[in-house]
Amino acid sequence: MFLDNFFDVDAIIYTYPLLLDGFLLTLKLVAVVVPAGIALGTCLALIFALGGWVTKAGFIVYVDTFRSLPPLVLLVFIFYGLPFLGLQLGSFVSAVVALVLNGSSYYAEIVRAGIVAIPKGQWDAGRATGLSRFQTIIHIVLPQAFRNIVGPLLGNTLELTKATSICSIVALPEFLRAAQVAQSHVYNPTPLVFVALVYLILLWPLARLVSRMERGIATR
Amino acid sequence: MTSAPILEIADLRKSFGKEEVLKGVNLTVQRGEVVVLLGSSGSGKSTFLRCINRLEEPTSGTISLNGVPVTSSDANLHDLRKQIGMVFQSFNLYPHLTALKNITLALRLSLGQSRKVAEEQATRMLSQVGLAEKARSYPSELSGGQQQRVAIARALALEPQVMLFDEPTSALDPELVGSVLEVIRLLRQSNMTMVIVTHELGFAREAADRIVMMDKGEVVEEGAPEQLFTAPRHQRTREFLKHFTGR
Amino acid sequence: MEQIQYYYFNVPIMVDALPVMLQGLGLTVLMALTTVVIGVSAGLLLAMLRSYPTRWARWPIIGFVDIFRSLPQLVIIILIYFALPYAGIQFSPFWSTVLGLSLVLAAFAQESFWAGITATHRGQWEAATATGLSHTATMLFVVLPPAIKTSIPSLTNRIIAVTKGTALGSAVAVQELLAHAQSIQSVVANPSPLTLGALLYMVIFAPMVAFSRWLEWRYRWSS
Repeated sequence: MFLDNFFDVDAIIYTYPLLLDGFLLTLKLVAVVVPAGIALGTCLALIFALGGWVTKAGFIVYVDTFRSLPPLVLLVFIFYGLPFLGLQLGSFVSAVVALVLNGSSYYAEIVRAGIVAIPKGQWDAGRATGLSRFQTIIHIVLPQAFRNIVGPLLGNTLELTKATSICSIVALPEFLRAAQVAQSHVYNPTPLVFVALVYLILLWPLARLVSRMERGIATR
Repeated sequence: MTSAPILEIADLRKSFGKEEVLKGVNLTVQRGEVVVLLGSSGSGKSTFLRCINRLEEPTSGTISLNGVPVTSSDANLHDLRKQIGMVFQSFNLYPHLTALKNITLALRLSLGQSRKVAEEQATRMLSQVGLAEKARSYPSELSGGQQQRVAIARALALEPQVMLFDEPTSALDPELVGSVLEVIRLLRQSNMTMVIVTHELGFAREAADRIVMMDKGEVVEEGAPEQLFTAPRHQRTREFLKHFTGR
Repeated sequence: MEQIQYYYFNVPIMVDALPVMLQGLGLTVLMALTTVVIGVSAGLLLAMLRSYPTRWARWPIIGFVDIFRSLPQLVIIILIYFALPYAGIQFSPFWSTVLGLSLVLAAFAQESFWAGITATHRGQWEAATATGLSHTATMLFVVLPPAIKTSIPSLTNRIIAVTKGTALGSAVAVQELLAHAQSIQSVVANPSPLTLGALLYMVIFAPMVAFSRWLEWRYRWSS
């Protein structure tokens, strides 16, 4: 009976198209949100590194604000709250905006920490040969910073990928939502179990890698 | 020597917060002259050197390069740094670039040279310091002495008028020091104007045209090497030399 | 401009909503604290168990950690609340959320503590066993104290990340802060309760984030 309920293959076959669409939408969401988050986060970190103390304070306020808000609250605000201003973004765009705002704050922190960890001598060498601060950071500091922060970047990418599932709450037909809808069709938790297994299989390697990289840093 | 001095520094002061590290330093350097700055740590000699190319901003005072003041706020930092080369104690080579690319980076970005021209210049510079075959090596593959020579080549590549050396051999194992000093000697022979902060007293005595002794942010004595080493006038100079030479 | 004030910072509406939202806030805080207590203790226990030299302890723990680091929090909560009943296990919305989040926090906490434990110098273990201390005693008195101290910065960040998940409780009808904000918003047709909700969440989490920044600043010279 357990197997029938939780691993009902027929249920999967029946709801397969629905689940596939959901999976593809999640994939699409990840493909948009992760690069955008990294790009925005890097720009913010660059602004931090090149600006004066006012800019730096502004950075911290911005980043910590988005780190203090649950992403779901942000999503709900954008999806249900913005239409009152006439801004009807739709569930996909709302999801992208919320996830990018949230994700980029964490990415910005990671890149910022990476930049700050590069020895001052590298800046000296760049500036002493006539490079502007911008040229120095782009050609000398940032490449080195990125090599050092691969672990945390991957870790945050994993978290951001998992976070896409919250979009099910605003009825975006991504993977989790597809599972819930499928479940209501077949009165059977198998779709949920199936989706969980797919998440597990696909994200396990990344989670393993991130764990290993984190431990590598701690034991140095 | 009838030409005007290449570098004129007048009443240079630098404070970090409340602490005054440079208390009115004056220095005039002639074209082709080699000036060595001596002093114990905390004397301000490194800070002074870094003020010359404005890696540190002086709190007050003037610096003129070829008669043109470079300390005013609208002075072109970019141009200044093309004319003054700097070599650091910890080399500061870019670890993610080959020796060649370490040199071509500034040539392309700062001087706007094309890749081909920059690479030719870089190769020439590497030959000059005896490391032509290491062009494609990364800093991690080079010994300390080799890295510092690449750093010198990097500074020379922009064809500066003045070269600044901030304790160029202090971070090197003793057996590697010689190769770097040799390069500096060659530069001296080609009449490069240099200001060198160093602890290598033997080298200072042999290579310097003039020695400037600093203590607590001020110049306490300056003069020709022979005069300073054999008959130092100021008490601080005597103490410093005694400590190093055991005389 | 006035529109923004009317819709998003409508003070009368926010004042009216405040009592109910504070109840929601209370529930959010309760869920968060419960999660932290269960999750961190479980994580510490798992990290300690993992240090024993038997294979039977290590692989299940690693498996547990991998599973709960790979699955999204919401998926776990939904599974507990909607799928487990088919196996005869029914958790309340509150406990579905707390259990789900605790499992995730336990996995993360275990990683943090484990990193602290493995960073302990080999010599410490040897010195302790040479003086006759058992593995358990060594763990408790020699290894854990500094290990816990080392793991606090990363642990704090994890706790913040997981406890923000209490908002997910609204998806399984827990009457916490976000749920109240949403229901009031739909009744008054004005998103100011959402603004209020966001501000109240920040009241909880901004201090934690600031604390985490302070920790990072304080530890910046070590390692």
